[in-house]
Amino acid sequence: MKPLQVVGNRVLRVDGKAKVQGAALYPQDINMEGMLYGATLRSDKPHAFITIDLEEAEKIPGVVKILTAKDVTGHNHHGVLFKDHDVLCAEKVRRIGDPMAFVIGTSERIAKEALKKIKVHYQEIPAVFDPLEAMEERAPKIHGESNIIYHYKCRKGNVDEAFKACDIIVERAYQTSMVDHAFLQPEAGIAYMDEDGSVVVLAATQYPHFDQLEVAEALGLPTEKVRIINPAVGGAFGGREDITMQIHLALAAYLTGKPVKVVYGREESFYAHSKRHPIMMKYKTGATKEGKLLAMEVMLVGDTGAYASWAINVMRKAGVHAPGPYEIPNVKVDSYAVYTNNPFCGAMRGFGATQTPIGSEQQMDILARELGIDPIQFRLMNCFRVGSETANGQILHESIPLVQCIEAVKDRMFQELR
Amino acid sequence: MISISLTVNKQVYQVEVEEDLRLIDFIRDKLMLTGTKEGCGEGECGACTIIMDGKTVNSCLVMAFQAHGSRITTIEGVAKDGALHPIQQAFLDVGAVQCGFCTPGMVLSAKALLDENEVPNRHQIREGISGNLCRCTGYNKIVDAIELASSYIKEGQQDETSSSGRQ
Repeated sequence: MKPLQVVGNRVLRVDGKAKVQGAALYPQDINMEGMLYGATLRSDKPHAFITIDLEEAEKIPGVVKILTAKDVTGHNHHGVLFKDHDVLCAEKVRRIGDPMAFVIGTSERIAKEALKKIKVHYQEIPAVFDPLEAMEERAPKIHGESNIIYHYKCRKGNVDEAFKACDIIVERAYQTSMVDHAFLQPEAGIAYMDEDGSVVVLAATQYPHFDQLEVAEALGLPTEKVRIINPAVGGAFGGREDITMQIHLALAAYLTGKPVKVVYGREESFYAHSKRHPIMMKYKTGATKEGKLLAMEVMLVGDTGAYASWAINVMRKAGVHAPGPYEIPNVKVDSYAVYTNNPFCGAMRGFGATQTPIGSEQQMDILARELGIDPIQFRLMNCFRVGSETANGQILHESIPLVQCIEAVKDRMFQELR
Repeated sequence: MISISLTVNKQVYQVEVEEDLRLIDFIRDKLMLTGTKEGCGEGECGACTIIMDGKTVNSCLVMAFQAHGSRITTIEGVAKDGALHPIQQAFLDVGAVQCGFCTPGMVLSAKALLDENEVPNRHQIREGISGNLCRCTGYNKIVDAIELASSYIKEGQQDETSSSGRQ
């Protein structure tokens, strides 16, 4: 066999040399002859019916066109799991930051000036910001008839019986916060019409093939008439999995025939993309006095905000990971994803698995303290090994070096402390 | 409009600028030097770092007219005659570059530091890049790269002395 060329060797990134010289092109670095500039009008109310008056804004010299829902040539929707986002809100806004209109002007300054002249009449309706309240029957509904869009159930053994056999039971509630990816390059993009009549969208994205489908559907074009080009991407961490300005730009280029560019500032970037789901967790964990975990019951409620994005996959993963890396013979997990009028949540590093250790590991520390067992020893007594079965029934046949990992961390940790 | 003259990457410019033009916009939109990045527009992230008269500044917080009479280095002025600067080489060698959006600012903060202190310790390096945010690397590799760059620069000087000695 020939020696491996890449594995085991240091390889320079293909884009490294351009990046250290500042020559790599991110969307905001790309300009085209005769291009127009876009600016997005966003809702400043969390839940309201809207009517939009463009008359004054359209009179501003240099405003080429202002797009609203009625200008969307195909389906006015997008979304990775459910098509629950409007490209531009047609009747209702569901969160602060929802896009309502897209101004196309001859300069960025003019486009932004025109935003201030658009009159939005909001007819506010009751909103809900607490996911537990949002689960109640009488809560205002964000979409359709229920705010609960997903319920993951995991059942193993019999927790009710097992808790009776426990010498100690710890019950606590935990809450994680909403987190922004804050990738360093704010969203930007440029779209134009190709010689063959295709719409080309150049934007930093994690999902070009899916963007193509979403742009095509919203414009009412076959996919072969839509091209997505992904130039240098300035960080993403899950925050570029949903559509932000891709469809606005594509529509603008399609309807004006000219290249159109948009650059978000940091604040608009916060409004535009998803967040990490804040999760409310209720944990009940029981063990014997010798330190063997017997039962765990968990309820997770993930606030997905106004749109689902990847909520189902995220809250499923949170549910699967809720027991932590421990052998527990009796487990009951209920994990919910719930709509509210908060910023929408989706993918962010760990995809639901990052939040639950806040609960599961603190449960381990509290149990160890109550039992008078060293917390590291307590983990070693209960952690997964080759052959362990997870709460959802997976047999771990290989590659579970958790004991070695804990031992190595323990050695290093005490070295550092010495 | 205000008339200003300044030197950017050793080239002298005599230009008229709008009173409300930021230095970053002058660099990116007028000189088309897009290696200087805008990450926040309010002096938090350091992606727009440039070297102005030997000191790093956030070019989003400086007005173009304030740069009148100054000597500026942007990322495009760091490499010499097509050869990477030792800092750039070290960033590549260590793997300190991921998304790359903070990289130009990091390289310039490193340069300003090493221009003043050839052999900084890790604490001084951390302080030197404390105005630059990176969301990808966790900083350790960037600190490693600046340490390595410091040794590259010293080796380079030794090579120069020994080669001139031989002549």
